[in-house]
Amino acid sequence: MDVDVLVVATVARALAFATPLLWAALGEVIAERSGVVNLGVEGMMALGAVTGFAVAFTTGDVWWGLAAAGLAGMAGSALHAFVAITLRADAYVSGLSLTMLGLGLSALIGRAWVGRPLPDPMRTVDVPWLRDLPLLGPMLFQGQYVLTYAALLAAVVAWALLFHTRGGLVLRSVGENPTAVDAAGLHVRPVRYAAVLIGGLLAGIGGGYLSLAYRPSWGEGMVNGLGWIALALAIFAMWHPLRVVLAGLLFGACFTLAFRLQTVFPPELLTMLPYAFTVLALVFTAWRRGRHAFGAPEALGRPYLRGER
Amino acid sequence: MKHLARLALALALLLPLGFGSAQRALEDLKIAFLYVGPVGDYGFSYAHDLGRQALVERFPGLETTFVESVPEAEVEPFVDQLIADGHDVVIGTSFGFGDGLLAAAERYPDVIFGHATGIERAPNVFTFMADFWQVYYLNGLVAGALSETGTIGYVAAFPIPEVKRHINAFAIGAREVNPDAVVDVRWLYAWFDPAGAQEATQALMSEGADVFAFTEDTPTVIQVAATRGFPSFSHYASMLPFSPETVASGQLVNWDAILIDVVEKILDGTYAAGNLADVDYFWGLGEEAVEAGAEPGMLINPAYEAQLRAAVLDHPEFGEISVYDLVERRLEQMSVLPAEFEPFTGPLRDRKGNLVYAEGVSATLGELLGMEWAAENVRGPWDGEP
Repeated sequence: MDVDVLVVATVARALAFATPLLWAALGEVIAERSGVVNLGVEGMMALGAVTGFAVAFTTGDVWWGLAAAGLAGMAGSALHAFVAITLRADAYVSGLSLTMLGLGLSALIGRAWVGRPLPDPMRTVDVPWLRDLPLLGPMLFQGQYVLTYAALLAAVVAWALLFHTRGGLVLRSVGENPTAVDAAGLHVRPVRYAAVLIGGLLAGIGGGYLSLAYRPSWGEGMVNGLGWIALALAIFAMWHPLRVVLAGLLFGACFTLAFRLQTVFPPELLTMLPYAFTVLALVFTAWRRGRHAFGAPEALGRPYLRGER
Repeated sequence: MKHLARLALALALLLPLGFGSAQRALEDLKIAFLYVGPVGDYGFSYAHDLGRQALVERFPGLETTFVESVPEAEVEPFVDQLIADGHDVVIGTSFGFGDGLLAAAERYPDVIFGHATGIERAPNVFTFMADFWQVYYLNGLVAGALSETGTIGYVAAFPIPEVKRHINAFAIGAREVNPDAVVDVRWLYAWFDPAGAQEATQALMSEGADVFAFTEDTPTVIQVAATRGFPSFSHYASMLPFSPETVASGQLVNWDAILIDVVEKILDGTYAAGNLADVDYFWGLGEEAVEAGAEPGMLINPAYEAQLRAAVLDHPEFGEISVYDLVERRLEQMSVLPAEFEPFTGPLRDRKGNLVYAEGVSATLGELLGMEWAAENVRGPWDGEP
């Protein structure tokens, strides 16, 4: 195979594989930017996948399915927000519980849908105009699902909102120094709630991509660890939406190349690389003390209680 | 026919008198199943549970229980609980349960243990396997005839003898109808990996593969191949609904064939805890433990019938024959006991050129179970290649 053909195919497949990761990781970046860790991504994606499939199957419309997927993810995250923000319980424990709850509940809901194909799944489309760009066209803008293009757009929107609006500034401040935000007369909890709910919405959409587009069906274990990879991705991207896209493409490329280069390269090495990168990123952020410079929110994982320092 | 039925009925009524002592009543039997995955996987554990359901249908009143998603290394506490609940037969359906089942069997010498895909037995542990090697060979015939590029994609789980045996049988079938056909293999290193199956299929497509078989527990490969209209094969359960036009044939399992035989023999006293050390089922087409087809009863998808009837070759054994007829003839030959045809029959060479079986020599059961070599027309990595 020619090198340029391999590169184009690798990027295109990396993007298709990374789409659910992008949605979920963007959601996690937003939640963590506000200071709330949510380890429930895997569970929220599973809830999104099963709900999306059930609704799309029943209504015959994938877009209703997608909306339901997003809402299901959001419902899961609401639970986490209540426990971690309102009750100020340990966010790590709450997130893990959400993952287990989501996996179990989705299996239960999904019983009736196992082994049933979606009659009218999402179709692949090209992006008009952009599809004709040399190289970038076939890499990013041809033969993917709308949700894939939308994920790229969502990253840009998230970046613009987080870094170039007053609301984004408030959200990030809540994650960095909630006491200061509180002192300035703004409420911390509603901001954190909003961020966590948006995170759940995006994770649910990521799950919906799996059951409505990427593999239009439902089966237990469908998410199969992608939620955890998305968490690693958010860290590796150092909590930056645009870096999420690049990091997602890198993770996806490792994954798809593991199969393309299997004849010449040990696949275990390639599938291991994303995690190795993530550990390196963690080492890097920890090593540079002023970690906010690299994106880790200062107040990440700490519940906020007024008057407490 | 009527007389035969009457005779059978009479015998059935007489039997209990003859073997009164060792015989067991259905009501006294409680069977527990341990599955490695969720029954909702639509793959391996799903197929096992279909077998359990068919068993209950065959023996109304038989009490069965199942536990799903049992961690392979932690099978013993589950066994303890099930036996405490009064189960007298415990059946584990994953290779990795072996050590735990054997250890538990030593502690509970009066309980009968069954181990699907297992290799080690004990006086109260039998092993059983419904194997697809013959069916993969039949699918290979179909794949070889349907491929236009001559490259057939195979998305495989782990490079272990079971999977290698299936790939080889598939490749031998493909080669029989198309001497230039190659089987290009990509490994997932997982039994369940839908995303991996998706990307492996995509990778094979860009290598030119246009027909697909797989060993993975979801219909992913079928769905991905269908996006380009490429034929594929059902695995374990019928996956025809996922692409009614492109699932050409496939390998289907009927675990109940073995389970029913086991329960019959427990009931009539043939099997008891203590005499199972030599009970090993390796059943195929002849025993009806497996079936070839896109779904039960559909050997070849009508969508491909014309193409396979038009593909005529000069066959050394049957003369001029269409691939469609060849599949049916081979199926007939392998559906009798003992089978009249064994796919692994020489002359066969591995892909390094070594002669594995000389003219007329066939693989023994032991050689089938321990297969490591790669067939001549297999491409791609092959861990543990001799």
